[in-house]
Amino acid sequence: MTRAIGLAVVAVFAGCGTTGGNLVSFDVVAQGAAPRAGVKAGVYDTSLGWHVELASATLYVGAVYLNQTRPNSGIQGTDCILPSVYTGEELDGRSVNVLSAAPQPFPAPGTGTDDEALTGEVWLTHGDVNAATDGRPIASITGIATQGAQVLPFSATIQIDSANRGIPSPPALPSLHPICKQRIVSPIFIDLRPHDGGTLVVTIDPSGWFDTVDFAKAPPDGVFPDDNTNDASAALFGAIRAATTTFQFSFE
Amino acid sequence: MIRGSYLMVFLLAFPRFAHAQPADAGVPDTPPPPAPPDPGAPPPSGAVAAPSLSPSASAPSTEEPPRITHQSPPIFPDVPKPRQKPTDVLVHVEVDAGGSPANPRVISQPNPPFDDLAIASVLSWTFEPAHSGGQPVASHLNVTVHFDPAAPGGETITVQGTLNALERGHQAAPSVGAQDVHVEAGKLATEIPHKDATELLGWAPGFLLTNEGGEGHAEQIFLRGFDAREGQDIEMRVNGDVVNQVGNLHGNGYADLHFIIPELVQALHVVEGPYDPRQGNFAVAGSADYELGLTRRGLTGSYEVGSYGTQRALLLWGSPTSNSHNFGGVELYQTSGFGQNRDARRATALGQLEDKLGEDGLWRLTSGAYITDYHSAGVVREDDYAAHRIGFLDTYDPDQGGAASRVFVLGDLEFQHEDTTTHHQLSFTAQTLRLREDFTGFLLDQQEAVQTPHGQRGDLIDLESDAITLQEQSWMRRHLDIAGLTQELELGLYGRLDATTGQQYRLFTLATPPYPYHKEADLSAVLGDVGLYAAANVKLAPWAALRGGVRADLFTYNVLDNCAVQSVAHPSPANPPGDASCLSQADMGRPREPVARSTTAGAIVLPRASLVLGPFFGLSPSVSIGRGVRSIDPSYISQDRATPFAQIGSYEGGLAYKGSPGDLDLELRLSGFRTHVDQDLVFSETVGRNTLANGTTRIGGALSGRLRGPWFDQNASVTMVRSTFDDTGLLIPYVPDVVVRSDSVVFSALPWQLGGQAPVATAGLGVTCVGPRALPFGERSDTIFTIDGSASLAWNRYRLGLKASNLLDTRYRLGEYNYRSDFRLQDATVPTLTVARHFTAGAPRIVVFQLEVTL
Repeated sequence: MTRAIGLAVVAVFAGCGTTGGNLVSFDVVAQGAAPRAGVKAGVYDTSLGWHVELASATLYVGAVYLNQTRPNSGIQGTDCILPSVYTGEELDGRSVNVLSAAPQPFPAPGTGTDDEALTGEVWLTHGDVNAATDGRPIASITGIATQGAQVLPFSATIQIDSANRGIPSPPALPSLHPICKQRIVSPIFIDLRPHDGGTLVVTIDPSGWFDTVDFAKAPPDGVFPDDNTNDASAALFGAIRAATTTFQFSFE
Repeated sequence: MIRGSYLMVFLLAFPRFAHAQPADAGVPDTPPPPAPPDPGAPPPSGAVAAPSLSPSASAPSTEEPPRITHQSPPIFPDVPKPRQKPTDVLVHVEVDAGGSPANPRVISQPNPPFDDLAIASVLSWTFEPAHSGGQPVASHLNVTVHFDPAAPGGETITVQGTLNALERGHQAAPSVGAQDVHVEAGKLATEIPHKDATELLGWAPGFLLTNEGGEGHAEQIFLRGFDAREGQDIEMRVNGDVVNQVGNLHGNGYADLHFIIPELVQALHVVEGPYDPRQGNFAVAGSADYELGLTRRGLTGSYEVGSYGTQRALLLWGSPTSNSHNFGGVELYQTSGFGQNRDARRATALGQLEDKLGEDGLWRLTSGAYITDYHSAGVVREDDYAAHRIGFLDTYDPDQGGAASRVFVLGDLEFQHEDTTTHHQLSFTAQTLRLREDFTGFLLDQQEAVQTPHGQRGDLIDLESDAITLQEQSWMRRHLDIAGLTQELELGLYGRLDATTGQQYRLFTLATPPYPYHKEADLSAVLGDVGLYAAANVKLAPWAALRGGVRADLFTYNVLDNCAVQSVAHPSPANPPGDASCLSQADMGRPREPVARSTTAGAIVLPRASLVLGPFFGLSPSVSIGRGVRSIDPSYISQDRATPFAQIGSYEGGLAYKGSPGDLDLELRLSGFRTHVDQDLVFSETVGRNTLANGTTRIGGALSGRLRGPWFDQNASVTMVRSTFDDTGLLIPYVPDVVVRSDSVVFSALPWQLGGQAPVATAGLGVTCVGPRALPFGERSDTIFTIDGSASLAWNRYRLGLKASNLLDTRYRLGEYNYRSDFRLQDATVPTLTVARHFTAGAPRIVVFQLEVTL
């Protein structure tokens, strides 16, 4: 009896209770969006009347983050990172075949807390998100676009550097448009709560990448220039970074 | 270790305490001796002596303590009939090698005319001196003079005048219950390894000390469910002078006790909880008062050398003709430190003089100087350590460290006349503090639109906080005889003025040397605190005392924020210029300076009361209730903010036992408590200190005890507490639920002699066990279990010692934290932004060899 009371006292005062929340570890996979029924993967009809058949499409995802805030309209900070809001991360990047709906696991598990995540971020970089030069392409795409009798083989290789994708900032606000803004796709609206042992699924849907690309304005050789000087190239770059249509997060 | 365990069992199971004599139980009435002798201290002759005679005598270390050979009973004075009852007076007396008593001092509560008669009586006694190695030696001891009105009168004693203050000793406040702990240093101070004076707090129940800041950084203190950081929740005093630094940018209430030489601590008085009206600002979890003194008279030189290039030289001196409150001491210390980046150097000088002032007065002057310079390792991420990217004792940022200095002068006057004692104290302190700490690596450097583009430049904090402090304290205590019972009333005041400055920068750590790139704070403040209190010790009956009163404090703040504006309304290439931090501007022709001054004040009334009963066969139950206050960080001050402080409400019940079965001294304390804080503080890694949080509640209990005998001294405690936030019911992170501490010392003369004297051997063992602490995100820290050991051999004027902290060389994490950081050691090239476990490494085994000579 005495021993039981003693144990009860210890249980009440020591080792009992929690500070709330949990640290979690989870798998992370990326996959292409499943094609619509009866449609081959990588085949799309765009709103500008082009029929696109992708032969290959890879996207390098340098990192994935979850955060617990949802940005308010009109209140956009300059900094790409708000240190106190992140609840989950996958730091080991991988190249994703977006034409395959099969799960493609990231090399290492993701970590974080079990707080509710409201926003996702995909970092399209091979290194320092603030570096002027990445050094390697984040997207490589080949395919054929047709419109009536016009058949245009095309290819696009996209690298995000300050020189080709940077937006000039006014002299008074020299960091108004940092290059990291071009490399981080956010906000991807989500509502999930990671748990230990689960899997974060990042689905990449390329179906909208060419929706606003007018291949008629592409160079005659079909090789998209890797900058924003060409309307078709700029449209493709913008569509790849479209947070709401290209990326979906789920947790299983 | 085995013997230490035996002592623990002995302490807990000792069956004879019920037969202890109540005369000295005195938890309600008898204050602890203010000038206890160090049993190991060589007397003026240089021989080791420490006798045990009465129940209140100090622990002995000689094989033959002094004995009373003739003891005449004292004359019972002519007092009113209600006071004609058995009365005890505790007297400290020195016995020379010839057996003659000298320098008696009353160390119990003043109780004229019994005191005078007790002194006179003791002077008439004769003693057989203590012997060491067969040789008579000088010694000192406490004796209880018992007055019994029914006993036949002894010889007539003529009292020459009245006792003066020096003979009475400084007056201590009465105990407020079981949570009021007074620990005499004695063997615990000399035989258990203590790196600094803060570690002596481990003598009281529930303390846990950690330090992520380095050897010159104040220890982080956890007590009874509070993360008191560097003292913000504990009022720290030295000889009654408050040490907490108000307005320190690193932590309001920062209390660095490294300026105290541990060997010069004679006693430690800890009141856990805010129950004594004398306790002031920061007495949230409690208060601690270090009493300085040197019982080892003569000139003592000590040199220590040990692991990791540790060297310590110590000189202590105290004239054999003066009491323990006259001393001087100098300490020089340096170490290369374990692991990486833990080197430290410090020098300390402390001195004190005390003497009579007229017939009834006592003056005391204490002064000290302390300087240090050090480096610190900071935190290590658990995942980096697990992946072998960093070693357990390594550092991410070798620029961490700091420097500090402190000089102070403290003067005391005390007068005792008839039933009235008055005390005045004035102090001047100047101190500086520089800290460089890095908790997060490369995480917090925000890119502002007005700044030129930059990556993360580093989160290393460079903080400077300086202060000049004037303190004044004064009190008058009067004893009244009402209804045959001695009542006590004390009125006191406390005044303090601090002029502080503080700046905090972030350093660009990738540069060599690092330089500031952003100023986060630049405050200048003048902070005032005037408090008044009335404290009463009302005897309701011979076995019941109501103690307490009320304290009122007015805090004033005059804060100049020199960096109040960090942005401009209409940025242009010329405005702001570059990445400047503190900005003046001309907005449409209207100039705006970057400064802002705020003044405000707040008053608070703090009632406190304790009911102390007994002692009944040595047992003294008590209940206490009280309110405390913690002034708020000046950085939170805004103009005319109404209540710039946090309030604490606490109540407690306890049971204390004090007795002297046989030739043992036994003290036991059991208490349960509940404490509520309306605005608590919780550690924030982003600013490297505690920041304001919501209300919190702590419920817990403590059990402690000390048993002293002819060949041992055992002190142990266990504290359990549950600390929760009021709004969520969740646990408060980082504070320990369970803290167990045990200090054991055994000592004995060896059965052989050298030069006619027997060497005295001593062994000590300190055990610390801290249960898993709650960490953010539902995690728990590791259990901490460490053992410190020591052994020494004393002969004649010499002493050889060996001290080992962390005897088992346990690899443990002293502090553990869950938060976000990015130290760029991850394999990934992108930053890590989610929560991870961090730790500060506990010290490995450190062995120190000591040679000590006393002349």
